[in-house]
Amino acid sequence: MLSFIARRVLAALGTLVLSSVLVFLAVQALPGDVATQVLGKDATPDAVAALREKLKLDQPAWERYADWIGGALHGDFGLSLVSGKAVGGEVGMYLGNSALIALVTVLFAVTGSIVLGILAGLYRDRWPDHLISTVSLVGMSVPEFVVATVLVLCFSVALPWFPAVVLYGPEATVGQLMPAVWLPALALAVVMAAYIVRMARTSVIDVMASEYVTTARLKGLSSWRVVTRHALPSALLPTLHVIALNVAWLAGGVAVVENVFNYPGIGKLMLSSVQNRDLPVIQAIALISAVVYVVCNLAADLGAMALNPKLRTRGRTR
Amino acid sequence: MPDTHHPGRRSVLAAAAAGSASLGASWLLTGCTGASAAPALPEGAKAGTPDRGGTLRIARPPASEAETLDPASALSAYEYLGALYNRLVRIGANGELAPDLAESWEPDAKARTWTFRLRKGVTFHDGRELTSADAAYTLRHILDKATASPQAAVLAPLIDPAKLRTPDAHTLVVPLKTPNAEFPSLLTHYNCYVVPDGSARGIGRTGIGTGPFKLESFAPAGPGRITAFTDHWAGRPVLDAIDFYSVADMSARSNALLAGQVDLLSQTNLDFATARVVAASDRATIARVENAQWYVLPMLTTEKPFTDVRVRQAMKLAYDPEHVVKVALQGAGTPGWDNPVPPSDPAHVAAHPEHDPEQARHLLKKAGHEGLTVDLYTSSYDPVFTPMALAYQDSAKRAGIRVRVKTASADSYYTQIWMKKPLMATYWYTGRPVDQLFTQVFRGGSSYNETAWSDKAFDALLDRARQETDDERRRELYGEAQTFVVEKGGAMTPMFADRLVGISRKVRGYAEHGFEFDYLGIGLKGA
Repeated sequence: MLSFIARRVLAALGTLVLSSVLVFLAVQALPGDVATQVLGKDATPDAVAALREKLKLDQPAWERYADWIGGALHGDFGLSLVSGKAVGGEVGMYLGNSALIALVTVLFAVTGSIVLGILAGLYRDRWPDHLISTVSLVGMSVPEFVVATVLVLCFSVALPWFPAVVLYGPEATVGQLMPAVWLPALALAVVMAAYIVRMARTSVIDVMASEYVTTARLKGLSSWRVVTRHALPSALLPTLHVIALNVAWLAGGVAVVENVFNYPGIGKLMLSSVQNRDLPVIQAIALISAVVYVVCNLAADLGAMALNPKLRTRGRTR
Repeated sequence: MPDTHHPGRRSVLAAAAAGSASLGASWLLTGCTGASAAPALPEGAKAGTPDRGGTLRIARPPASEAETLDPASALSAYEYLGALYNRLVRIGANGELAPDLAESWEPDAKARTWTFRLRKGVTFHDGRELTSADAAYTLRHILDKATASPQAAVLAPLIDPAKLRTPDAHTLVVPLKTPNAEFPSLLTHYNCYVVPDGSARGIGRTGIGTGPFKLESFAPAGPGRITAFTDHWAGRPVLDAIDFYSVADMSARSNALLAGQVDLLSQTNLDFATARVVAASDRATIARVENAQWYVLPMLTTEKPFTDVRVRQAMKLAYDPEHVVKVALQGAGTPGWDNPVPPSDPAHVAAHPEHDPEQARHLLKKAGHEGLTVDLYTSSYDPVFTPMALAYQDSAKRAGIRVRVKTASADSYYTQIWMKKPLMATYWYTGRPVDQLFTQVFRGGSSYNETAWSDKAFDALLDRARQETDDERRRELYGEAQTFVVEKGGAMTPMFADRLVGISRKVRGYAEHGFEFDYLGIGLKGA
C-alpha cells in the first residue's frame, strides 16, 4: 500500500517535470517573442534589442529554463516580463478568483449530475432516462462558449438577472465577484456534468444488474435501501475518476468561458500572457495546472483504493 | 486602435473566438425574435442634446499590462488621452487644422520657423497655469530617446530640442532644420498631448493635463475613472464622470453593451453580424464613423513579382473596388481606387484609372507574369480582412490572376506577417493630415512604410510640397503625390470603411472623427 502511494507520487513528480519542459518548448515555438509583442509595430529595432537583452532573451533557451526551474524550486517564479510584478503573487490573485468559479461549478456539477445519473440508471430506457441522456449528450457536444453565450443572452440580455461581463479587475473582492460567478459556473457545469451523468448512469446500471444487488433484493430489503446502501457506493467508484479528471479540466480549461465573461481568472491571465509571450507567467500557470491535474488524479486513485476492498487487499498482501 | 497596430491593443486570440461566438449570438437572437430578415443598420447616432451630469461607462480593449498615461509613449492608454490632455492644434470636423491650446500659429516667409501663440488662462488639473515652457517641454519629452516615442521618428528630423525658444510665457518658437509648411499638422498626432514641464517621471501615473476631465483612478489594463474638470478653459464637460473598463474580448464587450453594463465600446469596429444584433437591441444601437477605417492590401515592392511596377499596376487594374465595397462592407463604405487620401480629406483628388482587367492581363503578359499566382495573407485580427481578401480574389480572377488567400494567426499578425509577407491585408485609422500620411507611410525609409516603396522622385515631390508656402500650389503638389502613389506605389487601397461603434441608446452628442473624440459634448439622456 505504501509503496503503491510512493510510486504514484514519484510518477506525479515526473509528470510535472516533463510538462514544464514541454510547455517551455511550446512557448519557444510561438512566433514572435515578448520584446516584439510588447513593444509592437511602433518599436525601433534598437528598442527591441535593448528589451531582449534586459529580459535575457538573448540567452540560450536551456539556460533560461534552468534559471526558471531553479527559482521555482525555491517558490520564486520570477517577475512578469510585461507588468514587472512578481509572478507568484499575480498568479495567486487570479487563481483565487478562478477557485471561486471552480468551487461553485463542482458543487453544481457533481451533486446535480450524480443525482441525474442515478435517476437515469434506475429508470433505464424509460422517459426520465431518455430525457436525461439526450440532454447530457447535447451538453457534451456543445462547446462551452456557446453554452456561455446562450446563458448570457437569456439571463443577462433578455432577463437582466446577472451581469454579462465582470467589469472589475483581478483585485475584486469575493463580494464584488459573487453576482458574476453563477453564469460561468453554470456554463462550465453543463459541459462538465454531461460526462459525469453518463458515467454514473452506466455504473448504476451495471451495479443494479449484479448478483449482490439481486441477493439484497431477495433478502427482502426495500428498493431505497438496496440503492443507497448497496448499489451507490459501488456505482460511485468509477464515477470518481471522471469527476477528478473534470476538476482538472476545470483548472486548466476555463480560459474560453472566463474570456466570454471577462472574468479576472487564471484562464484569462493565461490567454493574455500567451498573447504577450509573458514566459514566466505562462510557465507558472502551466506548472500549477499540472500540479492540479496530478493531485486530482492521485486523489482519485487513493479514493478508489479507499472505496474498493479489492484494491485495498491487493495492496496489503504485497 | 490608433494608428499603431501593436497586438496588445486589441485582444487578438479573443477576437478569434469572438467571431464565432457573436455569429452564434446573432443566429440565436434571430431565432428568439423570429425576425427573418436582418434589420438594416442605422445611419448615424441619435441626435438631440444630452442632459447635464451623469457617468458614461466605456468598455475599451486594454493595450497591455504595461499601459501608461504618458501620451508620448507607444503604450499609452489611448482612450484617456483626449479626456485628460490637450494638444497645441487638433483636426477639425472639416479635416482642416483647428486651434486647441494654441490660439494661432504662423510660419516665417520660408516656413522655416513657426511661432505658436498659446491660449491664456489655461490651468492644469493641479492648478498650475499653462505656459510656453510646458509646450516646449512636451516637444523635448517626445524627442527624448528615453521616452521611445513613436512620434520621435517623425519630429526628430525637423526639430533640434536645444533650439526651441519661449520669448514669453505664451509664445513658443520652433525653428525647423528644413522648411515645412505643414509642420503644425504633425502636432495633431495623439502622441503630442501637452504635459506639464518636468513631468516625465510621474506623468504615466498622474495624468495631469489641461483636458476636460481629471484623473481619479487608473490601473493598467484595468478599470479607471475620470471626473469633470470644472476649471477647464472651454467650460466644463456635460458629463460628471467617465468610468473606463477594460474588456479584452470583443464579444464580451458587446455583451456588456447589450446587458446595459456599459454605454460605449471604444476602439471596436463591430463585425456586421454583431452590429445587427446590437442595432436590434432595445438598449443599444450603432453609430457610424464615416470612412474611419482605411483598408490596404500592401504589396512589398522589394519582393518579386511586385518589384516590377507593371505587376503592381496590373494588380490594381485587375480588381473592382466597387465590388469589394459591396461584398466585404455590405456597402458601408466608399471605394478607395488605390488613393490613400480619403475622399473626406480636403486634399483629396479624384484621379484614378478605370477598372480594366484586359489592360491588367496585357501588363502582366508584358512583364512575363501571365497567369500570375499570388498568396494573400489575412487573419481574424479585424473582421473585414478576410471578406476583403476574398472579394479581391474573386474580382481579380477576371484578369487571370490567381489569388490564394492564407489565414495567419491573429496574435502575431503584426509582428510576423505585416511588412514581412509580400501581400497581406491591413488597415489604419484615417484622420492623418496629408503630409503626415505620405511621410509616414509612403516616403522611402520611413518606419511605417509598409510597402518598402522608395522612389526618389516621389520623395522630392513631398519635399517640394512641404516647403511650398502658397496654399493653392501646395494643394496641387499633394494632388500630384496622390496620382504618383496610385500609378507607381505598392499599396492597393480598395476602400474606406465606416467604423461601426456600439453605443447605448441613452448616449447623446457622440462625435468622433479620425483620432478626435468629443469628450466635452458627449452626454446621456436622462442622466
